[in-house]
Amino acid sequence: MPAFTSLERQPAAAARALQLTGVRLDHRGGDGRPFRVLDLAGLAIPAGARVGLRGASGSGKTSLLHLVAGLIRPDAGSVSWGDMVVSDLSVGARDRWRQATLGFVFQDFHLIPELDVAANITLPLTFSRWRIGPAEHERAAMLAARMGLTDLRRKAAVLSRGEQQRVAIARAVLLQPALILADEPTASLDAAHAAEVGALLVEVATETGATLICASHDTALLARMDRRIELATSSVPPIESAA
Amino acid sequence: MNPFPMVWADIRALRWTALAIIVLVALAVAVGVAIGAQERALRRSSAAAAEDFDLLIGAPGSQTQLLMSAVYLQPDAVPLMDGRLLNTLAQDERVAGVAPIAFGDVSKGYVIVGTTAAFAGRWGRLAPSQGRLFQKEGEAVLGADVSYGLGDSIAPSHGILGATARPGVAHEDEAGHRHAGHDYVAVGRLPRLGSPWDRAILVPVESVWEIHGLANGHAADDGRIGLPFDGPRIPGVPALVVKPRSVAGAYALRAQYRQGGTMAFFPAEVLVTLYRALGDVRSVLVAASFLNALLILAAVLLLLIAVAGLRRRRYAILRALGAPRGYVLLVVWLGMAGLIGAGCVAGLLAGVVLTTALSGVIAGQTGLQLVFAIESQEIVFVAALLLVGSAITLVPALMSYRAPAVAGLRD
Repeated sequence: MPAFTSLERQPAAAARALQLTGVRLDHRGGDGRPFRVLDLAGLAIPAGARVGLRGASGSGKTSLLHLVAGLIRPDAGSVSWGDMVVSDLSVGARDRWRQATLGFVFQDFHLIPELDVAANITLPLTFSRWRIGPAEHERAAMLAARMGLTDLRRKAAVLSRGEQQRVAIARAVLLQPALILADEPTASLDAAHAAEVGALLVEVATETGATLICASHDTALLARMDRRIELATSSVPPIESAA
Repeated sequence: MNPFPMVWADIRALRWTALAIIVLVALAVAVGVAIGAQERALRRSSAAAAEDFDLLIGAPGSQTQLLMSAVYLQPDAVPLMDGRLLNTLAQDERVAGVAPIAFGDVSKGYVIVGTTAAFAGRWGRLAPSQGRLFQKEGEAVLGADVSYGLGDSIAPSHGILGATARPGVAHEDEAGHRHAGHDYVAVGRLPRLGSPWDRAILVPVESVWEIHGLANGHAADDGRIGLPFDGPRIPGVPALVVKPRSVAGAYALRAQYRQGGTMAFFPAEVLVTLYRALGDVRSVLVAASFLNALLILAAVLLLLIAVAGLRRRRYAILRALGAPRGYVLLVVWLGMAGLIGAGCVAGLLAGVVLTTALSGVIAGQTGLQLVFAIESQEIVFVAALLLVGSAITLVPALMSYRAPAVAGLRD
């Protein structure tokens, strides 16, 4: 499909190996006592891999995604992206790394309801640029078409749930991230939409060669991954299951 | 970075609340602007209206009362003084011009002022815009706003103290106090002065005297009017306006006629006292309106802090999508400061409208045309509010800046 060729071009930064070493994360409970959310002796995800995170609620799937995204720092251990130790970077440097490297898809889409489809997709560009050029507009339109969205002028507030998540995926991959994180991307959708959105997510990740990490309960979505990682509720080290 | 798409989205999300914030701030600003501008306009217009009245001489009494009656034509019962003073002053070498100001009659709500043709033309400064000045008894010159036309017959009635007739509308009491058979004929109209004199009908002082059953001040019945008054009896007048030749002469005249049964003063010295009181009131009102505006800003701030709190997740999402903290700070700050700024600009405009409306009311009541202008004082007032507003909106902006992204995502 020639219309989508630019999706397949080399991402802005190529995917690198993600390495978590001796990561521990503690939270304070309602009673003020700390409890361990995550305790990972080691986790290595090769560049371009598609990985599913599985585990009961509270097993730390979301926390692991936040750690990888550099939104939080571990209480012990390190998170590295290639040879860059993300967990050692300052807040500002992590913001810059996140913008250059990451695309994020949420369970509840989190579009800006007052903006239209096009403005939602191009929103991440406004974090670093004053003007959005014609090339970027074209890429946004192309991504929207790829996601099956035809009317770019519709406000996000009036979109169906399935449409909203497609916009969110287009927004996540606009800057051709080398790493895509998705937190329960299909959990708020009905089965038919979940299947479509799951397929699209894996497709765009594959086309751009990005590493995809998906936290999910959705067995159909997990089945699309190369690898699945089971996170246990307690501080038991994770069990890996080969595909 | 370009935070404006997000700023716009945030304002759209607030919708009516955003509008309410703008309106609240605008009201606070408008009141402050209007008070300041109105007081200055009143001061300037009233000073301009007193321009041709260098020195006033009257029977001893209240200077303020004489000023209000003679210059601003607010009807009042003023004691008379000896009319012979007119001749004395006319022969005084320090005097360039002297004229009586005799009031008491009205017609259709317009004050009829008896004076000389020289003063009707403001010592030569004014030429009639239509017709000519009066040249004999029974003729009248109209102020610019008087609704009579040239050639019209004007029936004078004895003015009733406290009657609040609207200019241009014949009060029902007028009919009962009409001076029968003493109608004036309008022969000219004066250009606009922007003062209460635009609503006055100017007639020879001799006519006023005669209508009230007094002598006309002249010996021969040859129809000559104006100075000098050579009759055996010169009736009394409530006020004299004197145009001195020099400043030194003015002070000497003022000193001389402060004794011996008269009082003399410069209208400016009375106005200065009035302006001082007016200025004090204005300062209090402006300070109160500034505090009032600060209170509104404080209430708006509380609202904005609550809004920023509700938007914790919204901004956390932006951070997760790669927005730097500075971007979030700018989005929050620009949006909120923008609302307050819009309120300040709208308030400035509303202040102009409010002042114009108030000026219309004042002009309707007094005939003073208020010249309105927004000046540095109002700009400073608005700029100070804008500065305070911009500064306080940094509070919610910094709160959003400092909030850890992950806390917002977990809500």
